[in-house]
Amino acid sequence: MAYSELIKNFEKIRAYMREFYVYGFRSRTEFASKSTRSYDDERRRIESWLGDYMRFTQTAEGKNVFLSVDSRTTKHNPLYKALKAKSFTDGDITLHFAIFDLLSSPEIEMTLGELIDGIDRLLCSAISFDESTLRKKLKEYTEEGIIQTRKQGRKVLYSRSCDTDISSLSDVIDFSSEVLPCGVIGSFLSDKLEKHESLSSFKHHYITHAIDSDITATLFDAISSRRYITIKNAGKNVPEARTIRLVPLKILISVQNGRQNLIAYHEKANRLNSYRLDYISDVKIEEQVCERFDLLRKRLAKAEAHMWGVNCRLNPRHTEHVEFDIRINGDEQFIVNRLEREKRCGRVEKLDDFNYRYVADVFDINEMIPWIRTFICRITRVSFSDRRLEKKFIKDIKKMYDMYDVGGGDENAVQ
Amino acid sequence: MLFSELYSAYYNTVAAIISAAFSPDVSEKELMGYIREEAFSESVLTILPSLKSGKWPLLNDDLTPKLSNAPSMPLTNLQKKWLKAISLDPRVKLFGVDFPELSDTEPLFTSEDYRIYDRYADGDPFEDEGYIKHFRMMLYAIKNKRAVKVSMLNKRGKRVCVKFIPTGFEYSEKDDKIRIVATGCKYRHFNLARIKSCSCLGEDYHLEVVPKEDIKKEVTLIITDERNALERVMLHFAHLEKQAEKIDENRYLLRMKYYEGDETEMVIRVLSFGPNVQVTAPEDFKALIKQRLTMQKSCGLR
Repeated sequence: MAYSELIKNFEKIRAYMREFYVYGFRSRTEFASKSTRSYDDERRRIESWLGDYMRFTQTAEGKNVFLSVDSRTTKHNPLYKALKAKSFTDGDITLHFAIFDLLSSPEIEMTLGELIDGIDRLLCSAISFDESTLRKKLKEYTEEGIIQTRKQGRKVLYSRSCDTDISSLSDVIDFSSEVLPCGVIGSFLSDKLEKHESLSSFKHHYITHAIDSDITATLFDAISSRRYITIKNAGKNVPEARTIRLVPLKILISVQNGRQNLIAYHEKANRLNSYRLDYISDVKIEEQVCERFDLLRKRLAKAEAHMWGVNCRLNPRHTEHVEFDIRINGDEQFIVNRLEREKRCGRVEKLDDFNYRYVADVFDINEMIPWIRTFICRITRVSFSDRRLEKKFIKDIKKMYDMYDVGGGDENAVQ
Repeated sequence: MLFSELYSAYYNTVAAIISAAFSPDVSEKELMGYIREEAFSESVLTILPSLKSGKWPLLNDDLTPKLSNAPSMPLTNLQKKWLKAISLDPRVKLFGVDFPELSDTEPLFTSEDYRIYDRYADGDPFEDEGYIKHFRMMLYAIKNKRAVKVSMLNKRGKRVCVKFIPTGFEYSEKDDKIRIVATGCKYRHFNLARIKSCSCLGEDYHLEVVPKEDIKKEVTLIITDERNALERVMLHFAHLEKQAEKIDENRYLLRMKYYEGDETEMVIRVLSFGPNVQVTAPEDFKALIKQRLTMQKSCGLR
């Protein structure tokens, strides 16, 4: 098939987008699982959509392609462009403009036959559409909410839905497109507005979620209707995606790495599990409503008191205990403030004017360790119920002494 | 549900071209301009040729529209549901705009359906009356290009008075705070929540001072890909301008650009990856890491 910059299936391009944006060090030959033709086509497409952000380097392995974006200076998520590249047929685009030209205001109502004749006249018979094609398109548009139907006797009358004035919303749409879930929908709305300069910029702004927008929106749909879903779930080390049936409960979003996770109840295993959205594909919403949805949400709320990150359990008693002490100087109250504002659960205890303790019971200590390390230079004691992890934590710090020639990395020298 | 041609750059571009084609003087070159502006870099090869050739029979041979009206499309259910969802957010309410009537629309999501789990707890008081008043005053000043006089608490808690021209808002999702981006004074940013009172200055009030430029610096790291460190590091620093390369089987080199004002934060963030990340350049950044490790040695951790 001839190359086109538009695509039918977004799933095909998700992995490439992530690879070019998040990693960007693999050369063409390293995309082992893909054909080189496929690589060339997808790279060309991404370059067509996001050329301004595309960079190239030459290495011994070949030319590397990557996307480099300083999201603090970019007021609009550039990755949203990829979601505006859906392919269509010549008939689709022609019908679209013809239908809305004939139904130019909500007061105009037409039958299928009248629309067919009208389209024929409008296009001077350049293309003819049969009843079935037009009926299918109108059904699709009715489901999207842009066309309405009304029955008059045996006749079905079609009209356009009422217009919604969003002209005063440009500032809030600009802001929400970048900050709230499924922001790409805001970008779609923004495309309908007059060109304007956004008043908002963003710091610590992760944009990768854009490529999972379709998955996120479908999951929200399932959550709000409390329905079971089936998903295909792959993983870093699980190339073959498995199909699983779940009750979706909540989406957890990180503003420190941009990851999004679905927290869902796995009925067969009777467990609360976490699934990365970037590993999920092919979400199907079932008809069946989960009668226990509210109960499961309550159990999740209890579990959340012990979640540092995304790992969770149904039973909140299955936790690990964590304590660590820090030392501050007299003028370092801001460090205590840091503990208070950055902790996500647990508590801070004052031992004396210069020493403070953080205490928590969490499902997964591993998730918390990077945060504890941010206090390196003042940690005086750590105590984990998982002694193996505690030893590892201390050993890692010693390893860092060695890495930076601070000295004393060997076991005996550390005091 | 969301990846649809209805929202596509091509449909938007064709709509813009048809609207422009109603003007009798529009040239083909001008129509091409819409494609460059609205669509992708290779779209020029498809859109106008398809319209001109009659493949998409929406224009006549003389490029006038076959349609009778400038194209428009009502909002889809998905767009309305998203609008309804954002209308419930307290940060959105700061803007003080009236949303269209959406009473028969269910929100796409509510605050019950998602949670940001690693946001700092001392975010701005978005529902505080004084805060809302200051936000709207700044919004007015930005839109009308007016200088403001502000009384606020500085970092040390001391009350100070400053004059500046607000040019925009900068929101940090991690801190959950809004800062005013400013010019006309030596500081570039002001925390909105620190403002105690503010007023607009006269239309002819000029401030000539240019804020000190926020200098970009570069740091180079070596990542050892153990315990999934490569992915964790690359995702964590994904929001920065960066370039990575593979050194050997499990080591990678990462060069990142950051703002000088964020250096302490960068040091802490690098430390959070422990021995899987080693700073190799520049020396002054390395020295900051070493300094913290040296202090740690004296903490008696066993």
